[in-house]
Amino acid sequence: MNVTASGTSTDIMAVANSPVLWVAVAGIFVVIVVQSAIYMTAVRKVAPVADMSPEDMKVSFRSGAVSAIGPSLAVCLVAIALLALFGTPAVLARIGLIGSAAYDVSAASIAADSMGAKLGADTYTQNVFVVAFFAMSIGGVMWMLSALILTPLLERGDAKIRTVNPALMAVVPSAALIGAFASLGFQELTKSSYHIVAFAASAVAMGICLFVARTFGKSWLREWGLGISILVALTVTYLVTS
Amino acid sequence: MTTDEAVTVSTGARELAEFDKTTSRWGRITMIVGLLLSIGAPLYLVFSGEVDVTAGQLWTAFAAVAGTFFIIWLVEPLTYFPILGPAAMYQAFMIGNIANKLLPAALIAQTNIGAKPGTKRAELAAVLAICGAAMVHLVSLAVFVGLLGTWLVSVIPTDIVTVTRSYILPSVLGAVLVQAIVSMKQPRATVVALLVAAIITFVVVPAMPSLALSSTAIAVIVTAVLAWFLRDKNDQSPAELATIE
Repeated sequence: MNVTASGTSTDIMAVANSPVLWVAVAGIFVVIVVQSAIYMTAVRKVAPVADMSPEDMKVSFRSGAVSAIGPSLAVCLVAIALLALFGTPAVLARIGLIGSAAYDVSAASIAADSMGAKLGADTYTQNVFVVAFFAMSIGGVMWMLSALILTPLLERGDAKIRTVNPALMAVVPSAALIGAFASLGFQELTKSSYHIVAFAASAVAMGICLFVARTFGKSWLREWGLGISILVALTVTYLVTS
Repeated sequence: MTTDEAVTVSTGARELAEFDKTTSRWGRITMIVGLLLSIGAPLYLVFSGEVDVTAGQLWTAFAAVAGTFFIIWLVEPLTYFPILGPAAMYQAFMIGNIANKLLPAALIAQTNIGAKPGTKRAELAAVLAICGAAMVHLVSLAVFVGLLGTWLVSVIPTDIVTVTRSYILPSVLGAVLVQAIVSMKQPRATVVALLVAAIITFVVVPAMPSLALSSTAIAVIVTAVLAWFLRDKNDQSPAELATIE
């Protein structure tokens, strides 16, 4: 009799495709639609008083929608790359809500390390997937909690924010972010030479995209930079490993 | 002022207040529902009995992630509030993709209707633009990731899927690191961050393996402190916040 302890199987997709996750994704999509519908109704009621014509409302909505097409496709490309690790419902839930690919991948990596495992390797069990999914989701929760708590406070005390040293609000968080990505990235380098190849290829590809974007004014490259870099890095790594 | 004009003015104020009340109440309610759905899914898996995950493991993972990202969680709402306004905050921090999708959408809409920044018209344009962007966001995810993506992964040869699984992390981190460095435009802080991360990863952790789990959190906190004390006080140019949302 072969009894595997629950959760130690490496068949991630069995858990990652649980109906519960699909229900959550559907719920999330519905909630976003409902919020937008309520907001649009509220805008329609106040528009005449705010000197906003029906034409203005149509143009605003349409401008927002059209301008989002490019960034949405770019995000979808990156999301597709994450499907192999996390399965479709988890990726939809995470990318659909607050939590960019950069955050999700970092949080999942940190969570896997805390379990003594590595994402995508032999140690990537169902247990590790659940903890990684939890870590990714809790980030989204923290952002939302932060917004829920701070927005009413900021509404009341708008002036106080302006007295905070601008360097504190800009330099410190930016430095901290770079520190986080550098730390996680350098940890990847210690794993294998193929990890070094992937990291270097990705960094170089992004560097080239940003350079071309700046020099030749191709601003769409900034949007698509991450997706392109991921494709280049994976292709190079695939060629090197085969 | 005639009675009619006085009535119009007070009606306008009432409707504006009504808008603020509706958006803050329903913005909060929908965000809380989104929050519960977001954490409900992984927690359900934990309690379903299909896997064997302890509360301790969850807390450990949470602590490690929080140590790394707590600054971002705190600063991003503070940074975006003056730009977005209260109503749009509940949209933006639920949907995400603020810097790359929602903010440009809001700004383009405001330009297209000629709304002056800071006016109610501008705020309403931003709200509607984000609604439009949110719809495109959902449709694109459903079609290109939900349908196309899932199909793609099922037909792509297994060895490519394996490479993707194994090396997606460094493939993302390399690009993201370069992007953050370039968009921040702060050479001094960049050098500090890279040096601290390198020293911790290649020197400190091998010498003290017990620190391995908190190494990223340590790198973040040390970098933040050093970046503050070593900042160029004479640099008057506005630093661009490198956000991940």
